[in-house]
Amino acid sequence: MTFLLRQISRSAEGREIVRSSRVEGDRLTIGRGPECDIHLTDLAVALHHATVERTGDRLSVRTEKGLYVDLNGRKATEGSFDLPAGGDIRIASHRIRVLPAAAGAEVAIDISRVEEAGSKDRSAGMFSLTSVMPSKRAAAWALIAVVLAVFLAWPIKGYIDRQQEKEAVERFHADEMWSSGKLSLAHTALENDCQACHVRAFEAVTDAACKDCHTGIHDHADPFRLARAQPGLTTWGKVELAFKETFDIPPGRCVECHTEHEGATQMAPTAQRFCSDCHATLEEQLPDTELANAGDFGTAHPEFQPAFITRWDGDRPVLGRASLARNPREDSNLKFPHDLHLSKTGGVAQMARRLGTDFGFGDALVCKDCHDATPDGVRFQPVNMEADCAMCHSLAFDRVGGTIRTLRHGEPEQVVADLRDFYRSRSPAPRAGATRRRPGQVGRAFGSVGAVQAIRAVFSQGGACYDCHQVVAPPPGSLAFDIRPVAFPVRYMHKGWFDHKPHETEECTSCHLAEKSGAASDLLLPDLASCRECHGGESARAEVPSGCAMCHDYHMDEGAPSMLIRQRVGGKKKDTVIADTATLRRAAAERR
Amino acid sequence: MASRGISRTELKDGVSHEGFLRHKRFRWLKITLGLSLLSLLVYAFTDVQPRHNGGSWLGYTLGTIGALLILWLTLLGLRKRAMTSGRWSLKAWTSAHVYLGLSLIVVATLHTGFQFGWNVHTLAYALMMLVIASGVYGISVYATLPQELSDNRAEMTKPQMIDAVAKLDRQLQVAAQPLTVGDTEIVSLSLDDNVFGGGLIRRLSGRYPRCGTARALRELQQRLAVSSGREAEALETVTNLLERKLAALDRIRRQLKLRAMLEVWLYIHVPVTFALIAALTAHIISVFFYW
Repeated sequence: MTFLLRQISRSAEGREIVRSSRVEGDRLTIGRGPECDIHLTDLAVALHHATVERTGDRLSVRTEKGLYVDLNGRKATEGSFDLPAGGDIRIASHRIRVLPAAAGAEVAIDISRVEEAGSKDRSAGMFSLTSVMPSKRAAAWALIAVVLAVFLAWPIKGYIDRQQEKEAVERFHADEMWSSGKLSLAHTALENDCQACHVRAFEAVTDAACKDCHTGIHDHADPFRLARAQPGLTTWGKVELAFKETFDIPPGRCVECHTEHEGATQMAPTAQRFCSDCHATLEEQLPDTELANAGDFGTAHPEFQPAFITRWDGDRPVLGRASLARNPREDSNLKFPHDLHLSKTGGVAQMARRLGTDFGFGDALVCKDCHDATPDGVRFQPVNMEADCAMCHSLAFDRVGGTIRTLRHGEPEQVVADLRDFYRSRSPAPRAGATRRRPGQVGRAFGSVGAVQAIRAVFSQGGACYDCHQVVAPPPGSLAFDIRPVAFPVRYMHKGWFDHKPHETEECTSCHLAEKSGAASDLLLPDLASCRECHGGESARAEVPSGCAMCHDYHMDEGAPSMLIRQRVGGKKKDTVIADTATLRRAAAERR
Repeated sequence: MASRGISRTELKDGVSHEGFLRHKRFRWLKITLGLSLLSLLVYAFTDVQPRHNGGSWLGYTLGTIGALLILWLTLLGLRKRAMTSGRWSLKAWTSAHVYLGLSLIVVATLHTGFQFGWNVHTLAYALMMLVIASGVYGISVYATLPQELSDNRAEMTKPQMIDAVAKLDRQLQVAAQPLTVGDTEIVSLSLDDNVFGGGLIRRLSGRYPRCGTARALRELQQRLAVSSGREAEALETVTNLLERKLAALDRIRRQLKLRAMLEVWLYIHVPVTFALIAALTAHIISVFFYW
């Protein structure tokens, strides 16, 4: 038997070079060793790699221990094939092609070297990064899909899901990813529920959404007057308005001032300009307004116009307003000279020293001896005769055993009756100059003379009532004296907020000129100039720069302005409470 | 070459070449500085209550400018496929692309009003900044690396570099024939090396710790030290060849590293640009959805 071996190689130009040799016998050895019949120079080939043996018309291949060949495309350690069909053996980079041969004929074998398929594509293009990176286009499409799915489709689904829920469920809603910032502290609870405010898609937040919760809020003024009060629109303002009209955003919405998603903070204090834009020139914008122009507390603010009792309608006090500049007088129906009571010398001071141990007075009376702050310190309790005056101003007129009888305060007819009774019940002891009683005469005449004099004395100059009160003289022949009712407002400034508490560091008399006041009709309120000693406008260099919002509120009510609420009392809306003065005094005494 | 676009070279006939950065005496740099300065001034002198944000009139204006700029900048990808000259030459486009792209840093940052959070809006901003940063990197490598690439090639073409290695491989095959089975296996380590086999990290770092040629060289040098006679001669020939192959490989690998550094930024710049456009779409729709 013969094998015809054809070693095929290629020249540099690609020309085929064939070297043929014949091997007699049935066996062929394959390997890198020079003694092998088929000599392969590839280092990946063992010195003796495999043996090929012909048996009849079959050719079998067997490798040495631990070695492999590629037989007809399969990795094998041994195998065989029919010679008439031919076969293909690969070892490393060599291809040994057994050509089909008839039974008994010579077997031709082509031996050639092939580049390993696909493994070493060494073209110049391999230098580019494209050969090892995924395509940019594919990456771009993938990223587009991910971003749109996660940040657009998912939130829209969150919106639709929320539409199905009656109440926002406490869970992550994907539309939260659209939130441009944390909500203010007041709205923290809504962080999870975009649609509490953004009710409908592509519709700007409406006031209705705000008023769902803020039911008590009211307009600053009539909307039409408000609109007219706006300073003339600049060109830019008109552009802005046109823009808003184009996109169907009504002007003057809550959210124009109350911006959200600005971070988890409190609402910023209202800037002075916010008010002064309209109020600085309000008289020009709204000629019929009763409000004077106000642009800056330090430089452009009208004198205070407190509400005080200007006159009486019968027994009903009538409040009126007047500028403090006009030095208005209050008609309280009380006679009370502050100067006398605060004097460091004289009778009042002496009495204070005498009663000091009982009532905690000092060397002379001071304001707090009669005036008590309300529990929150904002204002003062109404002055009360029994609690605040009676320590000195005794209404005692008799002593029965150990009990002192006093005239009844606030009930003039009872005073008259009590005095009559006092004189009637006394023993008709003969008094010097008294008329002798004749039989048949009732003791009345005798007693009544003293009573009448005493009653008249009480209600007349120098008497207990007259010193403090306006006495209404009785009709001739009658003793039906009456006292005009006394009243004081608890609050003088209804449109502005004043809190005494933060002013505690000041002496009362540095604002209220009580030491120089000789009559209760003096309105002892500090005027604008007095306040301006410390307070200036928002950007003033004053000790206390004060924007409008320190005293006034846009959505004004009886309570403290929102800015102070947020800054001082932890967000709780509040108004001053008047307490029982006696209770307050007891509590204060206990604390001492 | 891109490198030619950067430096200003005097050509023989006196026609000066102007790179895209210097195009028309920095025309687009000036426009960019003007736009940025204008934005900064308007931002500084506009009183937005309670603080600057994307929803004020200034915010909308800056946002619109920014979005249009992003779309226009993206169009360079289309424009670059058609090279023309003149006023709207590709060079002019590229110059404008680079400088207006940088102006986005100012315009878009002012648009945010410095309000950032974990949301789609900041996502769009972050993607934009990533694209800009990768672009800045691209400019910087285009300015320096082409020269290095050219130096590294030492007048060789890429196929020549590959051929040099292939030639050495063939010589190794022959030279290794007298070696023992164990030694030939070591030589095979080098022959099996695929110089283009490493991934992105290998290419960028230029470090191939499992390089078969280096390992074969190390081991055969140790063998050489303890061998003698004909074996030593054969080993010496093989180690010399391995040393030369290692040098040839190093040249290719430096080339690969430089090419990778030159190209890698585009794999961020381009796909992230499209991610940015998607995020921008979501940003704009969401703003008006919850208006």
